[in-house]
Amino acid sequence: MNKIKLLFFATIRDRAGTKQMDLEIPDNLTIQELKDKLSSDYPKMAQSMKSVLMTINREYAFDEQIVPQNAEIGMFPPVSGG
Amino acid sequence: MIPLPTIFSITEDEIDLNDLLEKITLTSSGAAAIFTGMVRGVTARDNPHETVYLEYEAYIPMAEAKMKQVADEIRLKWDVIEGIAIVQRIGKLYPRTPTVLIACTAAHRDTGVFDAARYGIDRLKEIVPVWKKEVSPTGEEWIEGDYIPKPGE
Repeated sequence: MNKIKLLFFATIRDRAGTKQMDLEIPDNLTIQELKDKLSSDYPKMAQSMKSVLMTINREYAFDEQIVPQNAEIGMFPPVSGG
Repeated sequence: MIPLPTIFSITEDEIDLNDLLEKITLTSSGAAAIFTGMVRGVTARDNPHETVYLEYEAYIPMAEAKMKQVADEIRLKWDVIEGIAIVQRIGKLYPRTPTVLIACTAAHRDTGVFDAARYGIDRLKEIVPVWKKEVSPTGEEWIEGDYIPKPGE
């Protein structure tokens, strides 16, 4: 199993109801599989998954990428700084 | 060679333009292009409305890393740039308050220094993980951008 830390921001944080969560996931899960797992485990988050941006260890990540061991995963909507 | 000054930070404090400008000005600098954005209390364009305040949040360590990336990209595109400062203020910010500042210095004004600062703010709005919630007299709403980063960004 792989122990990861999830960090939620903006609309995703509101829907998750928390800023961060520690999670154990199977080894070699892809980002897409992680999103699918979160959608089914936390139905409130399901509607966020289409437009969510994902990061692995503070770099943008994409659906086919494997979640590395002990990763810090960020989840948030398209950015709106400035 | 002394490294060129590059400042990037997320802060809850007031943005101090004079202090930043002093830090990015070399003896060879003769021009600075500065962009700053502030909270707009009354919006006339597109969807006219009023804003009571904006509440900013950031994924701070990633945001600062991406600001450094923006500065690196500026230097690759405009090798004449001397100093760069990129600062985003977060927290609850009211109309007329500066929220962001991008400043670039160069020897002369006709070196691309204006374009470099413009690139800096445009790029910040694409890849630096910061969000704002707008509070208006009628409710509140997260503002979402529309840029989807590509692999390698």
